[in-house]
Amino acid sequence: MWDSVENFFGSGIVYDLTNYFFFTYGIILLCLYFAGVLLASRAIRRTKRRATFLQVGDIVSATDIPSVTLVAPAFNEGLTIIENVKSLLSIQYPYYELILVNDGSKDDSMEKLIREFDLEQHDASFISQPIPTASVRHIYRSKNKKYTHLTVIDKNNGGRADALNTGINFATTELVVCTDADCIIEQDALLKMVRPYLEENKEEIIACGGGIGIANDSIVKNGVLKELRLPNSIVPMVQVVEYIRAFLLGRMAWGEVNGLMLVSGAFGMYPRKRLLEVGGFDNKTVGEDLELCIRLRTHMENLGKPYKVVYLPETLCWTEGPPDYSILVKQRDRWARGLWETMSINKKLFFNPKYRFMGLFYYPYWLFFEFGAPLVEFFGLICIIAFGLFGWINWPVAILLFFAIYLLGCIFSTAAIFMYVKSFDHYTRPKQIIELLLAAYLEPFVYHPVIVFGQMKGYYKKLFGIKSGWGTMTRKGFKVSET
Amino acid sequence: MKKVLVIQEDLIILKILERLVSLNNYECKAIPSLSDLSIEDQESNFNFIITDILFEGIAPLQFVAQVQEILTHENLLIVTSMGQDKIKQEIFALSGISGFYAVPIDLDEIDATLKAYNE
Amino acid sequence: MNEISLLFFIKILVLLLVVCWISIGVSMFYRRIRTSRLALIEATFADLVSRYLYNDPANPLSVQQINDRLKKTGIRPANRNNVQYLISLMIRTQRSISGSNFTKLQKLYGMIPPYGVSIKKISSWNWYRQARGIREIYEMNQVHYLDEVLKYRNDKNIYVRREAQIAMVVFLGWESLRFLPYLKWNMTLWQQIKVVEKLYDFYPQPDLKWLQKVYGTERSFAKRLLMRIIRKFELQSEVEFIMKHLADEDYEVRETAIYCINTFSVSSASMAYIKNEYDKIPDATQKLQLMNYIYENSNMDPEFYLEKLYGPNEDIKLNVAQILWNNGYKEKVQEFYMQQFPKSSLYVG
Repeated sequence: MWDSVENFFGSGIVYDLTNYFFFTYGIILLCLYFAGVLLASRAIRRTKRRATFLQVGDIVSATDIPSVTLVAPAFNEGLTIIENVKSLLSIQYPYYELILVNDGSKDDSMEKLIREFDLEQHDASFISQPIPTASVRHIYRSKNKKYTHLTVIDKNNGGRADALNTGINFATTELVVCTDADCIIEQDALLKMVRPYLEENKEEIIACGGGIGIANDSIVKNGVLKELRLPNSIVPMVQVVEYIRAFLLGRMAWGEVNGLMLVSGAFGMYPRKRLLEVGGFDNKTVGEDLELCIRLRTHMENLGKPYKVVYLPETLCWTEGPPDYSILVKQRDRWARGLWETMSINKKLFFNPKYRFMGLFYYPYWLFFEFGAPLVEFFGLICIIAFGLFGWINWPVAILLFFAIYLLGCIFSTAAIFMYVKSFDHYTRPKQIIELLLAAYLEPFVYHPVIVFGQMKGYYKKLFGIKSGWGTMTRKGFKVSET
Repeated sequence: MKKVLVIQEDLIILKILERLVSLNNYECKAIPSLSDLSIEDQESNFNFIITDILFEGIAPLQFVAQVQEILTHENLLIVTSMGQDKIKQEIFALSGISGFYAVPIDLDEIDATLKAYNE
Repeated sequence: MNEISLLFFIKILVLLLVVCWISIGVSMFYRRIRTSRLALIEATFADLVSRYLYNDPANPLSVQQINDRLKKTGIRPANRNNVQYLISLMIRTQRSISGSNFTKLQKLYGMIPPYGVSIKKISSWNWYRQARGIREIYEMNQVHYLDEVLKYRNDKNIYVRREAQIAMVVFLGWESLRFLPYLKWNMTLWQQIKVVEKLYDFYPQPDLKWLQKVYGTERSFAKRLLMRIIRKFELQSEVEFIMKHLADEDYEVRETAIYCINTFSVSSASMAYIKNEYDKIPDATQKLQLMNYIYENSNMDPEFYLEKLYGPNEDIKLNVAQILWNNGYKEKVQEFYMQQFPKSSLYVG
């Protein structure tokens, strides 16, 4: 058919195949996004209506609600540890315990905690460890009656997942919330998170997540977000939009079809029983939150029990996003490696009818459109350069097409911002909304290429076996109000 | 005139308690949070403090301890929607609490307490 | 796809984008107006209720004045959102107050708007309106609508039937328990909590005959609800029902039984029964929970614990070891661990 490589390329088959591939990929993605908007808006509306019948005020006064332990690992966070613990202690929930796990910090975290909270050592000889972890040195509880809900576990370093597992082992409550010590949790977050468990009907809730927001440059007082401000620089500013879009559109939509495969590590609630059954977080992967959620789902599929993973649309946890490009690249590099590892660990799910929708649809989606997206984009870039050099591109049409795709992206981001503004009152000033919209419209030029680079870097490391851990994520810290 | 400080985030309960206190011939300062207290008021000696325990940025037990530390008072009454037995026990363990009223509150009991003090 | 069709497509997209911008603007504007309106209604209502409950003889407040002020703040039949907000405030207030003021509030609610709004809602096709209507009816104690509400106790929508079932408890009290075995659908944990709370708030005097009539139920949710009622009302005479379910085959029933038994202390004969039931529980975590109850509520029984020390589960063994160690049986624990690990010694941190 083609007697030489030159003829093969010259026949136009490569050009056509490539075009059809990108066109099909783009159309499927577009349809999924569009369905996402519809499903998310239905889910948000439904969640709000349901909340009318189960208000926070009702839950706070109720007896018999499940008890909750919040597990917060900390590693070398001596600078902010006292403020962070006070913030976590102030969460409003009647049956609440806080377990802070000091994961072998080398700074003065422990000394500060002991001093501030009047901690005294308790016997650690008989701690049961259903999930194996690095050894526990000591357990501390406060002598001060103000801090009866606080337990500090001092253990040898084993990484975030290991620290969370230690907290899960030690917890005695029905539900466990896993978070980070430096996150700012909304005061009524647990009251809202527990809702799905109270309303659990035929399907068991195996994980519940809440929206996570970016709060760089915001004002914090007494560990509470006093004034939510938009970040000053463009990198975290675009992340605000990215998070709104991801949590409000993506997660809510997937939740609506019970297709959620990820509950963010920064803030997720799980039944302790199920966590113990699956052996807690996997400390061999850097994407431990995604891996745990998939493992929990797989476990329930194996048990043959109906289950649900749910998300709440409201932002319940505030965190500090990477403030600049270099830290952003490190973060996305880590996420990409975590995704690679998780996809690889769970490859048995791929088009496996035993796992029903998860095997036939959700896992393949993650593989093709989450894992595959940076690869496709990178490949697309190469094709544009190559086809441009060959003179195969009709530039006027290409530019118009590019502009149309750009506009579509803008519409999805604007729709997400609209849904956020309509549902929540975090950003209320016109100036803030205009800034958010501008950030969304700049995203494809100043932000997206960088995250693709970060992801490709992560894949490269995995492909060539380059060892890399969590990487350091330097945080500037929130602005603390003096008044 | 005897003084009462009412701290409640719920506007309706705040207003009702304010009214109840005023009609019992007490001077009443009603505020939605501790941060609304003026410096002058902080130096007052209150015959009663009637307060909730759920406030932003501070754990219930810490809040009670803070009120006890910074405000001079004779009686501290807790009126709260988070009124489970467990919370009640923890609050009383702090000592110095004169009364604990969980929602739904029988206002007649608070009324009787205020009247008894006045006699 | 040629340039002309692409240009047309772009025009549509721009139009869509503009629609999104306008929606954002309108939404922000509406929120601003709405927030200030709701704040005004709340402040007015708070002022009126406080003055009504504690009327100043020198400056009395009449019902006419209340109605006039509510009207001025926008409480009119045509403005349904304002009326709905007022209803939510009325319910919130009524729920926060008990005693003579509760009765006074009910009297007030009979004299101010909205009139007959809730009953209209329950015939709506929309589940949200229906459920809200039922809720308003029982929260406002409109007992004359009982028959209309009862029809919905087996509705296919979970919120409608939940509210109807709670209404049933509010209006019928302990007698409503007789419907339990015949409910078609499962009851969520929240439903059970609400039923227990309403029973406790409205009918604090237990009527055991209705409770005992449903002891034979096979429904998991009904068993759990009955145990929660026994716990809440501290019905010592009914503890046997909880004990019987400590080793139930249903995980949730066992979970509730273990949770509820913690409220009670039992006789030594009952404790012997509980110890016997312990062995039948298949789940290790639940076993641990029950063991802690046994430990805290009975005299030290070394034989019971020593038997468990040689059982199969590591976590239980550790717990037993701790109990024995702290209660003067260190040598037994050492002996056990010496057998397990002859060459190592027990680590005590």
